[in-house]
Amino acid sequence: MTDFSIPSSQSTPEIRSDWANGKLYMAGDSYPENSFDMFQQVFNWIESYLEQNQSELTLELRLLYLNTSSVKAMMDIFDLLEAAHQDAKPVQVSWYYDPQNERVAELAEEFKEDCTFPFDIVSQA
Amino acid sequence: MEDIDLFAMRERFNSQQIMLCFNGPISRSLIEEIGNALRNYLSADHAHPSAAMDVFAVYIEMTQNISHYARERQWSEQEAGATVVVSRNQDGRYVVSAGNLIEMTDGERLQQAVAGLAELDKVELKAAYKEQLRRPRDEVRPSGAGLGLIDIARKSSEPLQASLQPLASGRGFFSLRAVI
Repeated sequence: MTDFSIPSSQSTPEIRSDWANGKLYMAGDSYPENSFDMFQQVFNWIESYLEQNQSELTLELRLLYLNTSSVKAMMDIFDLLEAAHQDAKPVQVSWYYDPQNERVAELAEEFKEDCTFPFDIVSQA
Repeated sequence: MEDIDLFAMRERFNSQQIMLCFNGPISRSLIEEIGNALRNYLSADHAHPSAAMDVFAVYIEMTQNISHYARERQWSEQEAGATVVVSRNQDGRYVVSAGNLIEMTDGERLQQAVAGLAELDKVELKAAYKEQLRRPRDEVRPSGAGLGLIDIARKSSEPLQASLQPLASGRGFFSLRAVI
Protein backbone atom coordinates (compact mmCIF):
# COMPACT_ATOMS: atom_id res chain seq x y z
CA MET A 1 0.00 0.00 0.00
CA THR A 2 1.41 3.36 -0.91
CA ASP A 3 1.60 6.15 1.57
CA PHE A 4 -0.16 9.40 0.94
CA SER A 5 0.17 12.95 2.12
CA ILE A 6 -2.59 15.53 1.71
CA PRO A 7 -1.83 19.15 2.54
CA SER A 8 -4.43 21.03 4.55
CA SER A 9 -6.88 23.46 2.96
CA GLN A 10 -9.20 25.96 4.58
CA SER A 11 -11.79 23.26 5.23
CA THR A 12 -9.77 20.04 5.17
CA PRO A 13 -7.08 18.70 7.51
CA GLU A 14 -3.51 17.76 6.73
CA ILE A 15 -3.29 13.96 6.52
CA ARG A 16 -0.12 11.83 6.31
CA SER A 17 0.30 8.10 6.39
CA ASP A 18 3.44 6.18 7.34
CA TRP A 19 3.02 2.47 6.54
CA ALA A 20 6.53 1.46 7.65
CA ASN A 21 6.04 2.89 11.14
CA GLY A 22 2.30 2.18 11.45
CA LYS A 23 1.32 5.80 11.87
CA LEU A 24 -1.43 8.01 10.57
CA TYR A 25 -1.41 11.74 11.25
CA MET A 26 -4.35 14.15 10.90
CA ALA A 27 -4.30 17.80 11.90
CA GLY A 28 -6.48 20.86 11.50
CA ASP A 29 -10.11 21.64 10.75
CA SER A 30 -12.38 19.35 8.77
CA TYR A 31 -15.62 20.78 7.45
CA PRO A 32 -15.84 20.10 3.71
CA GLU A 33 -19.37 19.88 2.43
CA ASN A 34 -18.62 16.45 1.07
CA SER A 35 -16.05 14.66 3.20
CA PHE A 36 -16.64 11.24 1.72
CA ASP A 37 -13.75 10.95 -0.81
CA MET A 38 -11.14 12.35 1.53
CA PHE A 39 -12.07 10.05 4.40
CA GLN A 40 -12.53 7.06 2.10
CA GLN A 41 -8.81 7.24 1.28
CA VAL A 42 -7.93 7.25 4.98
CA PHE A 43 -10.39 4.47 5.71
CA ASN A 44 -8.99 2.27 2.91
CA TRP A 45 -5.41 2.80 4.04
CA ILE A 46 -6.25 1.84 7.65
CA GLU A 47 -8.25 -1.17 6.50
CA SER A 48 -5.32 -2.43 4.38
CA TYR A 49 -2.81 -1.77 7.15
CA LEU A 50 -4.87 -3.74 9.66
CA GLU A 51 -5.33 -6.62 7.22
CA GLN A 52 -1.66 -6.91 6.30
CA ASN A 53 0.11 -6.11 9.56
CA GLN A 54 0.28 -7.41 13.10
CA SER A 55 2.34 -4.46 14.26
CA GLU A 56 0.87 -1.50 16.05
CA LEU A 57 -1.14 1.20 14.33
CA THR A 58 -1.14 4.63 15.95
CA LEU A 59 -3.35 7.54 14.99
CA GLU A 60 -1.86 10.88 15.96
CA LEU A 61 -4.67 13.43 15.83
CA ARG A 62 -4.48 17.18 16.15
CA LEU A 63 -7.92 17.77 14.73
CA LEU A 64 -9.80 20.92 15.74
CA TYR A 65 -13.29 21.59 14.42
CA LEU A 66 -15.19 18.79 12.65
CA ASN A 67 -18.55 19.31 10.95
CA THR A 68 -21.13 16.57 11.44
CA SER A 69 -20.26 14.80 8.18
CA SER A 70 -16.60 14.62 9.28
CA VAL A 71 -17.69 13.41 12.73
CA LYS A 72 -19.57 10.56 11.06
CA ALA A 73 -16.52 9.67 8.95
CA MET A 74 -14.24 9.69 12.01
CA MET A 75 -16.72 7.45 13.85
CA ASP A 76 -16.40 4.93 10.99
CA ILE A 77 -12.61 5.05 11.38
CA PHE A 78 -12.81 4.50 15.15
CA ASP A 79 -15.25 1.62 14.58
CA LEU A 80 -12.66 0.05 12.30
CA LEU A 81 -10.01 0.39 15.02
CA GLU A 82 -12.42 -1.02 17.61
CA ALA A 83 -13.04 -4.10 15.45
CA ALA A 84 -9.27 -4.59 15.08
CA HIS A 85 -8.84 -4.22 18.83
CA GLN A 86 -11.51 -6.91 19.39
CA ASP A 87 -9.35 -9.07 17.08
CA ALA A 88 -6.43 -8.46 19.48
CA LYS A 89 -4.60 -6.21 17.05
CA PRO A 90 -2.64 -3.39 18.67
CA VAL A 91 -4.19 -0.03 17.84
CA GLN A 92 -4.12 3.27 19.65
CA VAL A 93 -5.18 6.87 19.28
CA SER A 94 -3.53 9.97 20.70
CA TRP A 95 -5.54 13.16 20.27
CA TYR A 96 -3.65 16.32 21.20
CA TYR A 97 -5.49 19.54 21.96
CA ASP A 98 -4.81 23.07 23.07
CA PRO A 99 -6.19 23.57 26.63
CA GLN A 100 -7.46 26.99 25.46
CA ASN A 101 -10.10 25.21 23.44
CA GLU A 102 -12.06 22.77 25.59
CA ARG A 103 -14.47 21.99 22.73
CA VAL A 104 -11.79 19.87 21.07
CA ALA A 105 -11.32 17.82 24.26
CA GLU A 106 -15.11 17.37 24.56
CA LEU A 107 -15.29 16.17 20.96
CA ALA A 108 -12.48 13.67 21.54
CA GLU A 109 -14.13 12.49 24.80
CA GLU A 110 -17.37 11.69 22.98
CA PHE A 111 -15.53 9.51 20.50
CA LYS A 112 -13.56 7.85 23.27
CA GLU A 113 -16.78 6.83 25.07
CA ASP A 114 -17.48 4.27 22.34
CA CYS A 115 -13.93 2.85 22.16
CA THR A 116 -12.24 0.28 24.36
CA PHE A 117 -8.74 0.49 22.80
CA PRO A 118 -6.12 2.89 24.23
CA PHE A 119 -7.37 6.39 23.45
CA ASP A 120 -5.36 9.22 24.98
CA ILE A 121 -6.59 12.80 25.02
CA VAL A 122 -3.55 14.93 25.66
CA SER A 123 -3.54 18.59 26.61
CA GLN A 124 -0.64 20.30 24.90
CA ALA A 125 -0.28 24.07 25.00
CA MET B 1 -38.51 50.37 -6.82
CA GLU B 2 -37.28 52.10 -3.71
CA ASP B 3 -33.77 53.50 -3.69
CA ILE B 4 -31.40 51.66 -1.47
CA ASP B 5 -30.71 53.69 1.64
CA LEU B 6 -27.39 52.35 2.79
CA PHE B 7 -27.27 54.65 5.80
CA ALA B 8 -30.65 53.38 7.05
CA MET B 9 -29.46 49.79 6.50
CA ARG B 10 -26.29 50.48 8.43
CA GLU B 11 -28.24 52.08 11.31
CA ARG B 12 -30.52 49.06 11.42
CA PHE B 13 -27.62 46.59 11.36
CA ASN B 14 -25.89 48.51 14.12
CA SER B 15 -28.95 48.80 16.35
CA GLN B 16 -29.64 45.07 15.96
CA GLN B 17 -25.95 44.30 16.61
CA ILE B 18 -25.62 42.44 13.34
CA MET B 19 -21.99 41.41 12.81
CA LEU B 20 -22.44 39.72 9.50
CA CYS B 21 -25.22 39.18 7.05
CA PHE B 22 -25.59 37.64 3.64
CA ASN B 23 -28.43 37.18 1.21
CA GLY B 24 -28.15 35.46 -2.13
CA PRO B 25 -27.10 32.31 -3.96
CA ILE B 26 -24.67 30.36 -1.80
CA SER B 27 -21.88 28.13 -3.09
CA ARG B 28 -19.46 25.83 -1.33
CA SER B 29 -16.61 28.34 -1.63
CA LEU B 30 -18.80 31.22 -0.46
CA ILE B 31 -19.77 29.26 2.66
CA GLU B 32 -16.07 28.85 3.42
CA GLU B 33 -15.19 32.48 2.68
CA ILE B 34 -18.00 33.91 4.81
CA GLY B 35 -17.07 31.41 7.51
CA ASN B 36 -13.53 32.67 7.40
CA ALA B 37 -14.74 36.27 7.78
CA LEU B 38 -16.94 35.17 10.67
CA ARG B 39 -13.98 33.60 12.44
CA ASN B 40 -11.99 36.81 12.02
CA TYR B 41 -14.85 38.91 13.42
CA LEU B 42 -15.23 36.59 16.39
CA SER B 43 -11.54 36.76 17.08
CA ALA B 44 -11.55 40.58 16.80
CA ASP B 45 -14.61 40.57 19.09
CA HIS B 46 -12.52 38.64 21.67
CA ALA B 47 -15.05 35.81 21.74
CA HIS B 48 -14.05 32.94 24.02
CA PRO B 49 -12.50 30.17 21.85
CA SER B 50 -15.32 27.76 22.79
CA ALA B 51 -18.04 30.28 21.95
CA ALA B 52 -16.29 31.19 18.70
CA MET B 53 -16.13 27.52 17.74
CA ASP B 54 -19.82 26.99 18.59
CA VAL B 55 -20.90 30.00 16.52
CA PHE B 56 -18.76 28.85 13.61
CA ALA B 57 -20.05 25.27 13.89
CA VAL B 58 -23.69 26.39 13.91
CA TYR B 59 -23.05 28.66 10.92
CA ILE B 60 -21.43 25.77 8.99
CA GLU B 61 -24.17 23.23 9.79
CA MET B 62 -26.96 25.67 8.89
CA THR B 63 -25.43 26.79 5.60
CA GLN B 64 -24.31 23.29 4.54
CA ASN B 65 -27.82 21.97 5.31
CA ILE B 66 -29.25 24.67 3.05
CA SER B 67 -26.72 23.92 0.33
CA HIS B 68 -27.38 20.14 0.52
CA TYR B 69 -31.11 20.68 0.38
CA ALA B 70 -30.98 22.81 -2.78
CA ARG B 71 -28.55 20.39 -4.46
CA GLU B 72 -30.67 17.33 -3.70
CA ARG B 73 -33.63 19.06 -5.26
CA GLN B 74 -31.47 20.13 -8.19
CA TRP B 75 -32.57 23.69 -7.75
CA SER B 76 -31.01 26.46 -9.81
CA GLU B 77 -28.38 28.71 -8.30
CA GLN B 78 -30.99 31.45 -7.89
CA GLU B 79 -33.31 29.14 -5.95
CA ALA B 80 -30.41 27.83 -3.89
CA GLY B 81 -30.14 31.04 -1.96
CA ALA B 82 -29.65 31.57 1.72
CA THR B 83 -30.23 34.45 4.09
CA VAL B 84 -27.74 34.33 6.94
CA VAL B 85 -27.35 36.71 9.87
CA VAL B 86 -24.95 36.52 12.80
CA SER B 87 -25.74 38.99 15.56
CA ARG B 88 -25.70 39.51 19.30
CA ASN B 89 -28.79 39.71 21.46
CA GLN B 90 -29.42 42.01 24.41
CA ASP B 91 -27.72 39.53 26.78
CA GLY B 92 -24.57 39.70 24.65
CA ARG B 93 -25.06 36.16 23.34
CA TYR B 94 -24.28 35.34 19.73
CA VAL B 95 -27.29 34.51 17.57
CA VAL B 96 -26.99 32.63 14.28
CA SER B 97 -30.03 32.78 11.97
CA ALA B 98 -30.39 31.27 8.53
CA GLY B 99 -33.28 30.94 6.12
CA ASN B 100 -33.96 29.41 2.73
CA LEU B 101 -36.67 28.43 0.29
CA ILE B 102 -38.17 25.07 1.05
CA GLU B 103 -41.06 22.84 -0.04
CA MET B 104 -43.90 23.39 2.45
CA THR B 105 -44.08 19.71 3.45
CA ASP B 106 -40.34 19.69 4.24
CA GLY B 107 -40.71 22.95 6.13
CA GLU B 108 -43.55 21.58 8.23
CA ARG B 109 -41.55 18.45 9.01
CA LEU B 110 -38.54 20.52 10.00
CA GLN B 111 -40.68 22.67 12.29
CA GLN B 112 -41.88 19.50 14.00
CA ALA B 113 -38.29 18.29 14.32
CA VAL B 114 -37.26 21.60 15.91
CA ALA B 115 -40.25 21.45 18.29
CA GLY B 116 -39.28 17.87 19.20
CA LEU B 117 -35.69 18.87 19.96
CA ALA B 118 -36.92 21.75 22.14
CA GLU B 119 -38.39 19.14 24.53
CA LEU B 120 -35.00 17.53 25.12
CA ASP B 121 -32.44 18.46 27.75
CA LYS B 122 -28.69 18.33 27.10
CA VAL B 123 -28.36 14.67 28.09
CA GLU B 124 -31.27 13.64 25.86
CA LEU B 125 -29.89 15.74 22.99
CA LYS B 126 -26.58 13.91 23.30
CA ALA B 127 -28.35 10.54 23.20
CA ALA B 128 -30.35 11.65 20.13
CA TYR B 129 -27.12 12.83 18.47
CA LYS B 130 -25.35 9.53 19.06
CA GLU B 131 -28.35 7.58 17.85
CA GLN B 132 -28.51 9.64 14.65
CA LEU B 133 -24.75 9.26 14.18
CA ARG B 134 -25.09 5.46 14.27
CA ARG B 135 -27.87 5.41 11.69
CA PRO B 136 -26.68 4.05 8.31
CA ARG B 137 -26.12 6.77 5.70
CA ASP B 138 -28.78 5.48 3.31
CA GLU B 139 -31.40 5.59 6.05
CA VAL B 140 -30.79 9.27 6.68
CA ARG B 141 -33.87 11.21 5.71
CA PRO B 142 -33.64 12.56 2.16
CA SER B 143 -33.98 16.16 3.26
CA GLY B 144 -30.99 15.64 5.55
CA ALA B 145 -30.78 18.07 8.44
CA GLY B 146 -30.94 15.19 10.94
CA LEU B 147 -27.53 15.15 12.56
CA GLY B 148 -26.78 18.80 11.77
CA LEU B 149 -29.98 19.99 13.40
CA ILE B 150 -29.29 18.05 16.61
CA ASP B 151 -25.72 19.39 16.61
CA ILE B 152 -27.05 22.96 16.33
CA ALA B 153 -29.48 22.31 19.20
CA ARG B 154 -26.66 20.93 21.36
CA LYS B 155 -24.54 24.04 20.82
CA SER B 156 -27.40 26.41 21.64
CA SER B 157 -28.09 27.81 25.09
CA GLU B 158 -31.86 27.90 24.51
CA PRO B 159 -34.31 25.94 22.35
CA LEU B 160 -34.06 26.59 18.61
CA GLN B 161 -36.72 28.76 17.02
CA ALA B 162 -38.08 27.93 13.60
CA SER B 163 -40.65 29.66 11.43
CA LEU B 164 -42.18 28.91 8.06
CA GLN B 165 -43.56 31.65 5.84
CA PRO B 166 -45.78 30.38 2.99
CA LEU B 167 -45.06 32.05 -0.33
CA ALA B 168 -47.27 32.70 -3.35
CA SER B 169 -45.21 30.17 -5.35
CA GLY B 170 -46.47 27.35 -3.12
CA ARG B 171 -43.08 26.98 -1.49
CA GLY B 172 -42.17 28.45 1.85
CA PHE B 173 -39.35 30.36 3.48
CA PHE B 174 -37.95 28.43 6.40
CA SER B 175 -35.90 30.21 9.03
CA LEU B 176 -34.01 28.85 11.96
CA ARG B 177 -32.54 30.83 14.86
CA ALA B 178 -29.98 29.54 17.34
CA VAL B 179 -28.81 31.44 20.41
CA ILE B 180 -25.32 30.27 21.35
